[in-house]
Amino acid sequence: MTILTVESISKSFGSFKAVNNISFDVNEGKIFGLLGPNGAGKTTTIRMITNIISPDEGSVSILGNKMDSNQQNLIGYLPEERGLYKKTKVIEQLEYFGRLKGLNKKEANEKAKYWLHKLGAYGWENKKIQELSKGMAQKVQFASSILHNPPFMIFDEPFSGFDPINTELLINVLLESKNEGKTIILSTHQMYQVEKLCDEILMINQGKKVLSGNLREFKRNYGTNHLVIEFSGDKSFLQNIPKEQILDYSDNRAEIKLKNFEQSQEILKMASAVSQISKFEIVEPSLNEIFIDIVEKMNLHSNGGENEKN
Amino acid sequence: MKKTNKIWTIISFEYITRVKSKGFIISTILGPLFLITIILVPGIVAALSMNDTSKKIAVVDDTKIIVDRMIEISPKTFEKSNKSIKELKKDVLEGKIDAFVHIPVDVFEKLNVTAYTPGGGGLAYLEKIENNVTQLVREKRLLDNGFDEKVIQLVQSQVNVNSIKVTEKGTQKDYTEFYSIFGYVLGFMIYMLMFAYGGIVMRGVINEKVNRIIEVINSSARPMQIMMGKIFGIGAVGLTQVLVWITVAIAISFASSSILPMILNNSTSNLPAGASGSVSGLPFDIPPIPIGVWVAFLFFFLMGYFIYSALFAAIGSAVDQEEDAAQLQTPVTMPLIIPLLFMPAILGNPDGNLAIILSLIPFFSPIIMTARIVATSVPFWQIATSVILCLLTLYGTIWFASKVYRVGILMYGKKPKLKDLIKWVKLAK
Repeated sequence: MTILTVESISKSFGSFKAVNNISFDVNEGKIFGLLGPNGAGKTTTIRMITNIISPDEGSVSILGNKMDSNQQNLIGYLPEERGLYKKTKVIEQLEYFGRLKGLNKKEANEKAKYWLHKLGAYGWENKKIQELSKGMAQKVQFASSILHNPPFMIFDEPFSGFDPINTELLINVLLESKNEGKTIILSTHQMYQVEKLCDEILMINQGKKVLSGNLREFKRNYGTNHLVIEFSGDKSFLQNIPKEQILDYSDNRAEIKLKNFEQSQEILKMASAVSQISKFEIVEPSLNEIFIDIVEKMNLHSNGGENEKN
Repeated sequence: MKKTNKIWTIISFEYITRVKSKGFIISTILGPLFLITIILVPGIVAALSMNDTSKKIAVVDDTKIIVDRMIEISPKTFEKSNKSIKELKKDVLEGKIDAFVHIPVDVFEKLNVTAYTPGGGGLAYLEKIENNVTQLVREKRLLDNGFDEKVIQLVQSQVNVNSIKVTEKGTQKDYTEFYSIFGYVLGFMIYMLMFAYGGIVMRGVINEKVNRIIEVINSSARPMQIMMGKIFGIGAVGLTQVLVWITVAIAISFASSSILPMILNNSTSNLPAGASGSVSGLPFDIPPIPIGVWVAFLFFFLMGYFIYSALFAAIGSAVDQEEDAAQLQTPVTMPLIIPLLFMPAILGNPDGNLAIILSLIPFFSPIIMTARIVATSVPFWQIATSVILCLLTLYGTIWFASKVYRVGILMYGKKPKLKDLIKWVKLAK
């Protein structure tokens, strides 16, 4: 079932077109990755979904209803730029943000305490934000975005500022939410997390949609052209391979982007002639490489697009 | 969930967090103290200086009959002296006495006495000497010429001028001077309140923008709700403070009309009733302040606050830090300050054309109309016109501010100029 429908939205700031005719659907119960380099239009897209700004053209609807002030209550939003009142107590801010999303004071208070407890932040209720460390404030911010129990959540770079332990804590919350049938849009540069968490992705660049769809399918279609070879002995055979194809190498390991399957056999012959091979594997490319590959190709064709919309 | 609930949530958050703050409590307490200082201290100082007991004046009376009567009238000021003039001059120089008066034997004919002073010290006591001696010399001359004591008393009796103000409700005592000063005080208070609370609105908007809170709130409520919620919430804080002050002011004016005269009367009882008829015991007394004045004060404070705080909110939304706001603030603070410059002229002639015209200009009305309403009886049509013009202006500033605000709060990085703000208004649909 589709929870969010984005229909050909566009947004310009002056002469700069931040988002150019983007459409996509997000299905219920999925984690949806929103990818793209800096300045691609991710934040502008998210701001249109969350009704912070209105699209110049196109429309956003959630559960079939057009986005408005009331639909905003269905969304939990964690912006990339974190913000809390520095001089206000943790519990007071959480209550406020909860009430703005439609909870009454008592519900907001209970939910705030529940999430502080769950995130290992219990006992901070009466502290002011300025007394907390950055990581602690991040937890409070995260709690503020989801304490009204929204069916649809948008996290913009949720892992920034978290140490590995807290990142793991956050991932568990995301997966738990998914299991409860909630839908999540995850916008991040951390491709490793996207590969691990996302079911579907949308990649945008220069305000336009580059690709979208099921992550596994997409990776399969992109081609299994990635060779990992481990060896001991002479690495001179690498000199016969065009430099731009070698992604990474050391004295006993190399990652090579293949032109075709035949090339892999040539490399195998050359390598086995001079050294002993302990591993020879053709794998799917990582999302990171696909990302870089696509963006570089696109930017080669046009020289604009480096404007940051802020 | 209705929209009104969101704006109500914002109003109550803005209100409660501020009313609980130390700053609010301190300024609420210090405000009236400041006001009392402004209003009462000059009065008390004036009252005390009129019967300044610190001046000691020695009297060398060659006639031997005047001095006793002088001491009878002002025992704290005058003292009889048998020293020679040379010795007394030394005493003045050494500061043992403040001055001395030599009354010659021929005073009844030549009508001359001589006061020896170290110079300076004000004219008040010279006048006092003159009044005292004149009265006594006149008495003696009349007596010597065979007039009856009864006649003398008749001649000596002085007339007090009581000025009476004529109003539709009848006649009442005239307090023109007091109402002029009070009009100035209330006008000045509105100026300070608009400045202070407009500034709080501006800093609140900047704080939410700088700390990136605005994006979180904006994903829950519309920019117009956020801006108006903030303006109403902070306005309610201001209203709370003003209501506390008015309550205190009414209590003080009640207390001062019953307690203050008692205190002052004790210290002024030594003044001779006849010798200084122009001084009525109190430097001024505090007349009742009509409830309509307080209503006008509250109304024009709120009106001015809404007009200006919307503009302050727009400025706050446009900048990334408070320091950048200074330049944009000038067109807003100028019309706030201008009325103060005209205040003396307006209160000098509160029914004049200048006063009428300035009080009808909506950006000046809150300060000037309030002052006029206190100082004079402003015709109804003028009040009604200024209220209508203020409401229209209010609508205009809020319209302008809401357009600037929704663009400004998401705009980071550049320091905008006034023309950028106007561009945003055109940009916002």
